[in-house]
Amino acid sequence: MKRKEPEPALAPEVVMVLARLAAYPPLDAETAARIAVGATHAVRAVAASATESVFDTEPSAYLAELERLAESD
Amino acid sequence: MTDLARVTLVAAATAIARGEISSVELTRACLERAHRLNAALNCFIRIEDELALREAARADAARAAGERLGVLHGVPLAAKDMFYDPERETSSGSRVRQGFRATTKATVLVRLAAAGAVNLGALNMTEFALGPTGHNAFYGDCRNPWNPAHIAGGSSSGAGAAVAARIAFGALGSDTGGSIRIPAAANGVLGLKPTYGRVSRAGAMPLSWSTDHIGPLARTARDLARLLAVIAGYDATDPSSSRRPVPDYEAALADGVAGLRVGIPVNYFFDGVDPGVRRLLEASLKVLAELGAQLVEIEVPAPEHLTELGRAIVYSEAAALHGEWLRTRPGDYSPQVRARAMTGIAIPAAAYLEALQLRPRLLRRFVSGVYAGCDVLALPTLALPVPTLADTDVGAGEAMWAIIGRLVYCTGPFNYLGVPALSVPVGFTASALPASLQLVGRPFAEARLLRVAAAYQSATDWHQRSPPIS
Repeated sequence: MKRKEPEPALAPEVVMVLARLAAYPPLDAETAARIAVGATHAVRAVAASATESVFDTEPSAYLAELERLAESD
Repeated sequence: MTDLARVTLVAAATAIARGEISSVELTRACLERAHRLNAALNCFIRIEDELALREAARADAARAAGERLGVLHGVPLAAKDMFYDPERETSSGSRVRQGFRATTKATVLVRLAAAGAVNLGALNMTEFALGPTGHNAFYGDCRNPWNPAHIAGGSSSGAGAAVAARIAFGALGSDTGGSIRIPAAANGVLGLKPTYGRVSRAGAMPLSWSTDHIGPLARTARDLARLLAVIAGYDATDPSSSRRPVPDYEAALADGVAGLRVGIPVNYFFDGVDPGVRRLLEASLKVLAELGAQLVEIEVPAPEHLTELGRAIVYSEAAALHGEWLRTRPGDYSPQVRARAMTGIAIPAAAYLEALQLRPRLLRRFVSGVYAGCDVLALPTLALPVPTLADTDVGAGEAMWAIIGRLVYCTGPFNYLGVPALSVPVGFTASALPASLQLVGRPFAEARLLRVAAAYQSATDWHQRSPPIS
């Protein structure tokens, strides 16, 4: 039976590098780990939801979509 | 009339209009209560006696001259410390913004003042609105008036506590992942996150411009309807505000719920709900059914990723907004809030933009999947009993993260989608703390949510109970 690969997760060390790259003061290991967990969950959710192309979505479509989906009074 | 525990916002406005009490008298009573209870609750960052009494005197002078300022003439309210006002400091609950004085006034404050409201002061909040518990390392933690050992919820912690404690007749909060509804639920008051674009954000501290919402907290559906009617509507200084007309929310309250289809989600939202909370929610749905609502089961399309999709946006935008201060003044943030504000540096820009671009499509899927089968969706606001301050403190270890995740489990999806959501108190758990039902509507259906809440409150008396604090 094929073993399931563990889900990829962002490493705290990568967060530390990103912070330095963007000129933030050095992060301690605990803060970097916390950021890594939060970012990993968020990026996974986007990947899981991106099942269709957004190529033809207008960036300004959201408010118009809310108004279109409202019931007429 | 000065028995604040029994007087609603609308009743106070009526009493002032009839001359039964002056705004100055009522404001003095609220200020006295604010000073007395703040030691235990810490719900205010600043109580503004002088400014509030000046506004109250202006309201009384106007009335003496035969002028009515508006539907909130002389009524004492308060606002989370994140709405800009050149006459007052706005700290955003932070050390970074301590002493900050804006040059323009938030549109919502302008509208409340134009309607005659009196502003009692700046309410406590989570630092920069980044957290759902109401802890604040700089101004002290806000405490729950039903039991000060428990959280007031966040980030609009002071708004929930001050309204529940009968200090203010209503309050303004903001909601980016549940920050109006969570404190409303924790404190046993109503809290409304309106549709994205319904209420102007101009002059309000931003956390995430794509998911921030401004809304009111109050004790009755009628009070909330009045506040929403004042603050809602297009604002030329907020390009994200909608031009859609503002309905007469108060007039719609009397329509009742007979024939209305109330949808109960069969997936996600009731997973792992505390049994005591579940019993109260079921009892509240039974009340709605007895009032004539039709309860129907609804499968909500793909709700499981919505909160995290919202977080991808919030983290990215918050990191951009705070970038300069995080680089130059990192020590002026509490460690937890600094980590939350910085999470966006590790989210790829493409993921952020995909989350934004997916939103109209997921909104369409949600609305067509849910509202073909019901008129209003009903689910928990908080899936767990209100936790203690100690259990949600940073020192509580790993268990704290699980509790914090549960706090936003049922609220976060609707910030991403932008649909309106209203938290309504429905009783008390075994620990004598409030539990609440969350009503969620299609875009711009605030009147319908308020109508359900009004019907529920007409048949129950939870909203008339006062916390054991005086």
